[in-house]
Amino acid sequence: MRQRLFAALLLSTLCGGARTVVAQQNDTRPAVRTINDKELDSLIHNRNGKVLFLNIWATWCQPCVEEFPDIVKLSGMYREEKIDFAAVSVDYPDELESKVRPFVAAHNVPFNVYVANVKKDEDLINEVNPSWSGAIPATVMFDAQGKRQVFMFGQSPLSVFKTKLDSVLHLKDF
Amino acid sequence: MKRNVLVLFFLSFFVSNLLLAAPPAKAENFTLPDYNGVKHSLSDFKKAKAIVLMFIATQCPVSNGYNTRMVSLYNDYKNKNVVVIGINSNKQESAEEVKQHAKDHGFEFTILKDDKNVIADKFGASVTPEIFVLNPSFDILYHGRIDDSRRESDVTSHDLRNALDEILAGKPVTVTTTKAFGCTIKKID
Repeated sequence: MRQRLFAALLLSTLCGGARTVVAQQNDTRPAVRTINDKELDSLIHNRNGKVLFLNIWATWCQPCVEEFPDIVKLSGMYREEKIDFAAVSVDYPDELESKVRPFVAAHNVPFNVYVANVKKDEDLINEVNPSWSGAIPATVMFDAQGKRQVFMFGQSPLSVFKTKLDSVLHLKDF
Repeated sequence: MKRNVLVLFFLSFFVSNLLLAAPPAKAENFTLPDYNGVKHSLSDFKKAKAIVLMFIATQCPVSNGYNTRMVSLYNDYKNKNVVVIGINSNKQESAEEVKQHAKDHGFEFTILKDDKNVIADKFGASVTPEIFVLNPSFDILYHGRIDDSRRESDVTSHDLRNALDEILAGKPVTVTTTKAFGCTIKKID
């Protein structure tokens, strides 16, 4: 009897676990979570042959909020290309649920949005571009080798994003 | 010969890039009106031991997060012959708005209105809050942030105060440059 109970328990645990894994595999919704400096480094440098378009923003930054819909639009225009879109918010990690997630939901953001979980703002600056003053919004484009090719700060129109992204996509060395 | 030209070209390219990236080591005198229209020149403060120029904003939450720290800074150093001056270079923030904001937050220091961001451009300021500390000869002794965290409770390094204390003690500034983090200064197109 005990043995049967144990087997049943084990089976249900395994099935539950399997269900979770399957759910995670089938869940194609973009992530909204925190990112630490090591994970950010990995995001930038482990490119798997894809360009990275990375936007640094915050819900409290008016020009960031204004340009964000254009970035969403841009990601749709380049859906077939080898590009990862991602955004890193500099809201505080404890504001993820109250501020960042509602913003992402309201704008139907189709790419991963992270909240920087770094000790100091300077850690993020140095990871993205040591020459960056720290002004947001900022957009960085890394080529498929993880090399920074474009860096810009201040609000930008869709046409500028497109031109810069095309230039990174058509670099001769990949 | 060709190689020399090439080397010179690259050298000039890197030097010009460096010049573009770095703020000037020495500031020039300038004159700007405060939010009441009264004009002030940098040369008015030549008797100060240090001049703190703070590029600030009325609408930027990062700059606003430092409001009480700016008031404390002014109060702590006003009797030590340190002049604290705010500069607002944001195109969408009017002198009237700057005046009201100063009143609301108890700013007793002078705040200048930099229409058309001429002075922000001269200093290479791009963010609020961003600090420049000058000596009476207008040498830039410190450039960067007020401290190392937007959240006052998380501050571990009081960079601006450290620089001021060293200047007042007659010592060279140990950390002359830090990264200022905040909102982009909204400049004219």
